[in-house]
Amino acid sequence: MICLGRVVAALLLVAPAALAQDARLSARLDKPTLVAVTALVDSARGAKLPTAPLVDKALEGAAKGSDGQKIVTAVRQLSHQMGSAKRVLGSNAGPDEIKAAATALAAGVSEHDLAVLRAASGKRPLTMRLAVLTDLIGRDVPVATATSLVVQLARSGVRDQDLALFQRNVRADIDRGADPTAAATTRARGLVLRPASPGTKPSE
Amino acid sequence: MRRIARELRSPVPVSSALDARIMGAVRRLPRHTRLSLWSRLTTRRTVTVMPLSWGVLAAALLVFALLGLRHASDDLHRASKPIANALFPSIQKPAAPQRVQFVLVAPDAKKVAVVGDFNGWDASHSAYQAQHRGGGVWSVTAPVPVGHHRYSFVVDDSLWVADPTAPRVIDYDFGMPNSAIVVQEER
Amino acid sequence: MEAGSSDAVIVSRVLRGDVEAFGELVERYRDRYARYAFHMLGNREDAEEALQDAFTRAYRSLKRCEEPERFGAWLFRILINRCRTLGARRGRRAQTFVVDEAALLGAAEDHPAEASAWREEIERALKSLRADQREAFLLKYVEEMGYEEMSQLTGVGVSALKMRVMRACDRLRELLSEVHSA
Repeated sequence: MICLGRVVAALLLVAPAALAQDARLSARLDKPTLVAVTALVDSARGAKLPTAPLVDKALEGAAKGSDGQKIVTAVRQLSHQMGSAKRVLGSNAGPDEIKAAATALAAGVSEHDLAVLRAASGKRPLTMRLAVLTDLIGRDVPVATATSLVVQLARSGVRDQDLALFQRNVRADIDRGADPTAAATTRARGLVLRPASPGTKPSE
Repeated sequence: MRRIARELRSPVPVSSALDARIMGAVRRLPRHTRLSLWSRLTTRRTVTVMPLSWGVLAAALLVFALLGLRHASDDLHRASKPIANALFPSIQKPAAPQRVQFVLVAPDAKKVAVVGDFNGWDASHSAYQAQHRGGGVWSVTAPVPVGHHRYSFVVDDSLWVADPTAPRVIDYDFGMPNSAIVVQEER
Repeated sequence: MEAGSSDAVIVSRVLRGDVEAFGELVERYRDRYARYAFHMLGNREDAEEALQDAFTRAYRSLKRCEEPERFGAWLFRILINRCRTLGARRGRRAQTFVVDEAALLGAAEDHPAEASAWREEIERALKSLRADQREAFLLKYVEEMGYEEMSQLTGVGVSALKMRVMRACDRLRELLSEVHSA
């Protein structure tokens, strides 16, 4: 049996989104790539994953002049990573958290560590925590160390603005020649031990 | 390493009953029955219709026609917002995009643009063209929606440069670097 | 059933209701993936459980296999996830159990006692690796995959995978050269 209400809901919600999405992708992708990417987006939608990041990934690849196969591979990989992220973070995770978690998984963070970070953060959103974690890894702090530091900071209840300051301080230290692990560990210790004060400026 | 790998490539014996156990488990699952397109089109189905549904359908078609002209997000969540707001005005509106300053030091550049998932990675988008402020400093303050975004600078329409001051994104999909930004709502 | 049908043909038959055709896919992939699962999990019992679980899940969600001609890779991805879950849940078995398994495997070498001892050492060293490093090492060196393919299967970026393989190799060299110098 088909309920007409579902048909109405599908018409209302899916069609305008599909129109806009198709227009941007079809303007920038060749036909075979467009077909493959659309299929992946539809599959993600069916799995209740955010689809905007997949469209953005395809647009990014097109803007960077990548060939269709690379674009399809990247979109597929991101879809898998978002699926893993959603599985770990739970169905209440927002699109930004899922995007940030997928990026962290791509950087080498394990699903187990993602779950630990989720548990350590309570009800606070993970987006900023994951962005800082990914940045530390990108600056050559080993994955295990970076994850451990961010989990400790999460457990101590650090606020997002303090995390942003922590990232800036670590970056400044590394730019001045500090070992990444030493910089990250030292700054994290300082953050956990002293209460965060508003208006604290990054070191110059 | 080759010697180790050669050892590890030797076959591993499995119990003789494994195949039977797998197929036994598979047979207990619902059997797949893929219908051909013709079968799906010609198989009778029962459609439940309430009289109220016709009015709702007419209203839905009108809303669809109006909204189809607007530039809506491909994300289902974002697409539902204008529709929800039109039908149910009491629902809270999404946070407005925040003004974010992007700065890049590039003394030799002739043109710098900001591209990211907030502008479809479009280097020609007028709102995201940086201005040269002197001394090799380029900047633009542009709207970025609340949330997590990836972005980069494009210098002289050809060189992709990650923001050295922003969190890095390990992103080797296309061989060019990106940065991350988390935009939060001003309170 | 025709001998040597492609994966896509068999998948199509299964989706049309021929459940027995799935047995061909089981036979085709069972040995190779049993080997991977055994080395990941360290014992035959867990490996067979992971394998059975993976095949069952693959059958259940067969309609979602986007490229039936690459069913093997899709199944492998499911198996990798099952091994991760099972590995995290079960922890390590007693070392002696692994030694028994390694002894059973044996190779047709001129000196079977030496060969099985060497094999035991490799298995022991492999087990001491972190799960993510072991996974990357097995995919690269035993399954002989390229990094792009590994990245697609695991969802991990290429650079992270290269780092894991490098660390796994360093650790294995360290452990196994200790054995030889002892």
